[in-house]
Amino acid sequence: MRNLVWSLIAVIAVGTTGCGQEQRNNGFDPNLKVYRHAMDQSPSSLDPVQASNVYANHVVLNAYDTLFAFKYLARPYEVKPNLAVDFPEISDDLLEYRIRIKEGVHYIDDPAFADGVGREVIAEDFIYSIKRHFDPKMRGQGAWLWQGRIVGLDEWKESGADYDQEIEGLRAIDRHTILIKLIRPYPQLIFTLTMGYSALVPREAVETYGLELASRPVGSGPFRVTSYDTSKIVFEKNVKFRQEPVDIWYEGYNPETQGFTGVEAIQGRSPPFLDILEIDFIAESAARWNSFTKGDEVQYTGVPNEQVDNILSSKDPITPTQEIADRYHMYAGVEAGFVFQAFNMDFPEFGYNDDPDRSRRNKLLRCAVIKGFDWSKRNESFYSGLGIVFPGIIPPVVPEFDPELSRWSVERDVEEAKRLLAEGGWTADNLPELVYGTTSSVTSRQFFEQFRGWLKKIGYPSDRIKIKQFATFGDISRAWKNSTLPFVAKGWGLDFPDAENTLQLFYGPNGSPGSNDANYRNREFDELYRKTSVMLPSPERSKLYQRMNKLVIDDCVAVSGISRTRIMLWHKNVIAFPDREIVGGFFLKYVDVEKQQPVEGEGT
Amino acid sequence: MSSVAPEPVVDETVVDDGSAHRESIWAKTVYKLRRDRLGMVGLSVVLLYFIVAIGVWLGIWATEWGDVEGPKWAPMSAEYWFGTNIIGQDVFARAIYSTKTAFEVGLVVAVLSTIIGALLGALAGFFSGTWIDEIILWLKGVLDSIPFYLFVAAVAFALSGNPYAMHIAMVSTFWTTTGRLVRGEVIKLKNFEFVEAARAIGVPQVVIIFRHILPNTFHILLVQATIVFVAAIKSEVILSFLGLGVQDGVSWGLMIAESTQEVLAGFFNNFVWASVFLFGLVMAFNMFSDALQDALDPRKVASE
Repeated sequence: MRNLVWSLIAVIAVGTTGCGQEQRNNGFDPNLKVYRHAMDQSPSSLDPVQASNVYANHVVLNAYDTLFAFKYLARPYEVKPNLAVDFPEISDDLLEYRIRIKEGVHYIDDPAFADGVGREVIAEDFIYSIKRHFDPKMRGQGAWLWQGRIVGLDEWKESGADYDQEIEGLRAIDRHTILIKLIRPYPQLIFTLTMGYSALVPREAVETYGLELASRPVGSGPFRVTSYDTSKIVFEKNVKFRQEPVDIWYEGYNPETQGFTGVEAIQGRSPPFLDILEIDFIAESAARWNSFTKGDEVQYTGVPNEQVDNILSSKDPITPTQEIADRYHMYAGVEAGFVFQAFNMDFPEFGYNDDPDRSRRNKLLRCAVIKGFDWSKRNESFYSGLGIVFPGIIPPVVPEFDPELSRWSVERDVEEAKRLLAEGGWTADNLPELVYGTTSSVTSRQFFEQFRGWLKKIGYPSDRIKIKQFATFGDISRAWKNSTLPFVAKGWGLDFPDAENTLQLFYGPNGSPGSNDANYRNREFDELYRKTSVMLPSPERSKLYQRMNKLVIDDCVAVSGISRTRIMLWHKNVIAFPDREIVGGFFLKYVDVEKQQPVEGEGT
Repeated sequence: MSSVAPEPVVDETVVDDGSAHRESIWAKTVYKLRRDRLGMVGLSVVLLYFIVAIGVWLGIWATEWGDVEGPKWAPMSAEYWFGTNIIGQDVFARAIYSTKTAFEVGLVVAVLSTIIGALLGALAGFFSGTWIDEIILWLKGVLDSIPFYLFVAAVAFALSGNPYAMHIAMVSTFWTTTGRLVRGEVIKLKNFEFVEAARAIGVPQVVIIFRHILPNTFHILLVQATIVFVAAIKSEVILSFLGLGVQDGVSWGLMIAESTQEVLAGFFNNFVWASVFLFGLVMAFNMFSDALQDALDPRKVASE
């Protein structure tokens, strides 16, 4: 009997200890290095041709390889070769790019391959992957990056998208060399080859899995997906991933600003360092925050707006409270993107109208709405006063930003707004109905109510401003793309640090269903866009960019904008310098976790 | 003590020959209701809410519910009695305005689902055992078997942002209980002598159902309507909280949804006041509903 009691005690003790270790390692084998990341939305697809948002891009970049990548630590952002051996060899006329890819890189083992063994990644895979965007059957969303840019690519699509048909401007010269011939210079080309859209996909996998590829990646990235659903995705280390020791100095390490992260510990080691990478998709900020502060769940979070005042002791400079500083690593930075609203100029009630007088009055109406919008209060309400309000569509993060630009378009003036309405002959009786699309989230709804409240103040009757709710962000995105809403309220994350990436949002030929949701068409703007699109960065190009920016402001097309300051927190045992912007998903392969770190429940 | 025959409850005035004064069932109900203190308190509170809702509807008060000129998350003060929310809206005005939303939803759903439940229940009961009854029972079974919130989400999706998706979904499901109760009552009533007499003198079936039988289920409909009214208000709050309910306007559910972000930052105005208003109305309506049920119970009324 006594033995039995002792045996039971021993079993319970062992079990409890085991459970504790299990708990401390997020439910995985305690011997594994596990990192649990958190994102506020789930990816729309894991297929690179549909990696149209930041969430999909994060995931795709960890399962697949791209030719180029952004350096892990360099700020401002810098491009580096990834699967490419080196930077491209570019012809003198800037029209021909030769890119050599690394030899001996293999896809993960998968039944799609002969004998289930991942074959070598070859140049032809890149050609195939770009072609997919132009194949109507694929419903790819990244074609706009290369449309009208590569010799023969658009014609290939028009002639039936036969993958065996060679394209003059997109060829594999040999097994490991890619040749790209451009119609005209495209200085941003290399940036586009860092995006998830350009990731290399093996043809066998597409032909084997078809649409299932959207949830079953087969790539050569640092991780392979083991499970995926709407709540989380779990990766395990790709054991076949190429061995490339990290040089943190080459990656842009700055000990003064990044020393606190402990990234020096990865110097000389080959990523990925994690055995398991789990990304939890937690839309509710309260749930995400609770999971993070609990201590044994997600190890990273963006700080929700409602928590900012609780975790900061100072907003200028941004300083965490001592309690937060003791428990977590923190980094704050301005996003590489911005939030803005724009009128859909295809709606004759607000935009272009066959009647010149109505067009004139519409412009006055749009200008009045802009003057009625209170960016300062929007910043205070939803971004804790930490965002940067700026006029126009060139955000502060890009080098072409003009800090001297007039702030007329971002300063609220109710009397001026009323004057503009009166000048246009607008009264409470004849103002057109404005349908404002939102998702069903609380914040989206509050955006709408705040907007309506401000317009009421300038004399726009509240019953003329209608809400139209969409179940998901995907649904409202479709409405924007289909040009069914007169007003667009959205955010834009830059794909690369060049103002071209925001200016293209207002380029006429990019109208719906392209990225120009405002359907803005201005001859001078479009000519300047075409002119600058072949120019390398220079003061002259910056000046032209700024001229285009001014055109958008003067035409009162956009109510813009604000760049949010993101505050990120991560657990102290995580060695990382997180980024959800341009580096995005690339940083996850450099994440390491200190083992044996005691992690206890720690609510705040 | 004598046994009481289950007589029809409404047609007593019809059979009254005037030879002796007989108090009507409604007079008895009112008498009994007035003696139920809790019920009268409930009714008073409901009437108070109703007056508030009428005031909102007439634009007498809470007209500034959408204004956003106040400070962010202001505490309770003389200027902002219940404080403000994240965009500076007056929580008091929004809580008051939400009363109108609650009554709108409650009345629309209660009236429509009661009418549909009464009609289909009466038809199913009168034609019990026939294919009409089978179809109506099948329909009830199907609707009852679908989880309510899943059904609302499906309706909302199918109607693509229609502001009445929530009402349609609620009416579509709430009538079934009423229908089932009415069916049972009609099955009982259709064998009564007054129905047989009507049949014997050739009164058409439609007239028998809707003129002679259905009025005798009125006590069920009245009680059921109050229950549906409360259920609709509660459902609206839950649906709005989930983003499936009120689209243009404000409701206690939306206020509680807003509060999910605020409470973590230490601001409770939306949560507390929306909950208080909701609790007050639901509690009062339940008290009134219980009292009405007791007062209209034929056995209890008859035994008075």
